[in-house]
Amino acid sequence: MLDFFIDFMPLFMFLALAILLFSGYPVAAVLGGIALGFGYLGVYLDVFVPIEFFNIVGRIWSGIADNLVLVAIPMFIFMGTMLEKSGVARDLLYCLQVLLRRVPGGLALSVTVMGTIMAATTGIIGASVVMMTLMALPVMMHRQYNMPLATGTIAASGTLGILIPPSIMLVIMADLLGRSVGNLFVAAVFPGLMLASIYGIYILTVTSFKPELAPPLPKDMGPQTPKEFIVMVMRGLIPPVLLIFLVLGSIVAGWATPTEASGVGAAGAVLLAFINRRLNFKLMREAIERSALTGAMLFFIFIGATAFSYVFRSLGGDDIVIEFVESTGFGSWGILFTLMGIVFLLGFFFDWIEITLIVLPVFAPIVQLLDFGDHLAKIDIVYWFAILVAVNLQTSFLTPPFGFALFYMKGAAPPNVKIQQIYKGIVPFVGLQLIGLTLVMAFPEIAMWLPNKILN
Amino acid sequence: MKLLLRLDEIVESIIVGIGRVAAWVAVLLMIVIVFDVITRRFLVLGSTKLQDLEWHFHAILFLFCLGYAYLKDAHVRIDLVRERLSDRAKLWIELVGCLLFLIPYTVIVIFYGVDWWHRSFMQNEMAESATGLPYRWIIKAALPIGFFVLLLSAICMTFRKLVQLFAPEELKQIVNEREKVETVHLDEVNIPQFDRD
Repeated sequence: MLDFFIDFMPLFMFLALAILLFSGYPVAAVLGGIALGFGYLGVYLDVFVPIEFFNIVGRIWSGIADNLVLVAIPMFIFMGTMLEKSGVARDLLYCLQVLLRRVPGGLALSVTVMGTIMAATTGIIGASVVMMTLMALPVMMHRQYNMPLATGTIAASGTLGILIPPSIMLVIMADLLGRSVGNLFVAAVFPGLMLASIYGIYILTVTSFKPELAPPLPKDMGPQTPKEFIVMVMRGLIPPVLLIFLVLGSIVAGWATPTEASGVGAAGAVLLAFINRRLNFKLMREAIERSALTGAMLFFIFIGATAFSYVFRSLGGDDIVIEFVESTGFGSWGILFTLMGIVFLLGFFFDWIEITLIVLPVFAPIVQLLDFGDHLAKIDIVYWFAILVAVNLQTSFLTPPFGFALFYMKGAAPPNVKIQQIYKGIVPFVGLQLIGLTLVMAFPEIAMWLPNKILN
Repeated sequence: MKLLLRLDEIVESIIVGIGRVAAWVAVLLMIVIVFDVITRRFLVLGSTKLQDLEWHFHAILFLFCLGYAYLKDAHVRIDLVRERLSDRAKLWIELVGCLLFLIPYTVIVIFYGVDWWHRSFMQNEMAESATGLPYRWIIKAALPIGFFVLLLSAICMTFRKLVQLFAPEELKQIVNEREKVETVHLDEVNIPQFDRD
């Protein structure tokens, strides 16, 4: 009995984690507490030595603090927060709405474009969905938009940020999988743009056939003279788009590392606030403090997950997982689908931060075992896998009844928006996501063509 | 009791003060990166020192804000079950969580962290690269210190939950008010409005 417990201690660790996370105590502290508890249990059962806690401290330091790659995260968070708080994001959406008002479904399309451009996220899915809901939904409701179309577009576009670079999630994934952040960013470009285009085509098609679903903005809205129009575009559209392209372009072109680009991007966001004459001490302080809290939240989970996965490994967790996978007799495709299924289910309950930091270290050794023969080159598998996880997670956040993004949307939407309308609206987009996911699975070139083309 | 409440207030202001000051390190970090990018392109300076400085700032930024984020309730929770519980049950969860998870965890990290820092100090540890920043042990102190601040915040929280659970009504009110002012939920976003619009 005791031997059984010792052999499967890592599994009990996960079981304890699954139960205790739902207590609602901060995730990071639960992770750390369980690591500690099972560590001492291991000491008592003679399978763990206390000095390993010393190694955990070293691991936390070398993995999280002494790590130049992760320096990009606070800077990207700051950049996103600054764009949001300085109203640059809001102006950009307004500008897109005016620009696209003559196109069928213009308001919905402007949300999709906005989601694509603003993929330099505020850090957490909840915050980006809430931001998009607050900015875009009232306008659409005022124009009597079809509610499911409006909510579906906003939720799907708001979650696009985890995939399109510069994405904080991709920075962490690359770090955990021991791959280059720049390469992963480049690999995510086409899958991200592909999904955004699929949304766009869908919206255009639906609203062309049924224009009554998406009434356009009134003609007298926005600037009336060409001069005012140009001023609006020069002010609201060009600067942020230029900034994003500068950040992303310099990474893709290999001019700058993601860390360098993040710092320059953050400075650019401050500059934009200054140009718009909105930069003052209060704004700066709000953006700084909010980014610091977001960063502390994220890195605290990182610290907890480091302790958790150290103890998990030390108790033989990796071996159990690999043995289990091998005993199933699944081929590489079977394993891939199993992993994808697990990630998809977890996405119902957890944000990407928890999933990536807790599950990816466990999956990493399995991913190394995968082999898809002619389907794609062995060295590309890890990047491709990361992109698949990203698309998969995004889908999971959107899938009723537990879609993570949908709850945030309900919380931020006006009270007369019913959760049923949100569910109804998201269904076609989940379908589009599945098409996207299948395409990236069937044609790895969608992800790997660009990095292989420009980085080799 | 009044004295403890006063002490709680003082400790809180220290923790929040440390976090708010450390938050500004982000600006320094930004400046250093921009400076590094510019000088590397046009001049050839010692970039290793700047890059070391970058992660030094990054470490300070997140480690010194851990306790601040806990007091502000910014750390992520899985709310699925919790939001259906009574207020009293939530208080109990927070209390037990502090005593069982957060406090032991921080104590252990501090305990081994001080030892870990001390070894670095005794060896007068330098950067791995000869051209990096000297005195690595200075920045390494940020880990135990950051966790100590976090421990303080966990102790404050334990005290408050005890008050909210067991103390007379008037004391509860004081603590409730104190917590209400503080909370920052990262998933709440306000779209800015400006006078000029």
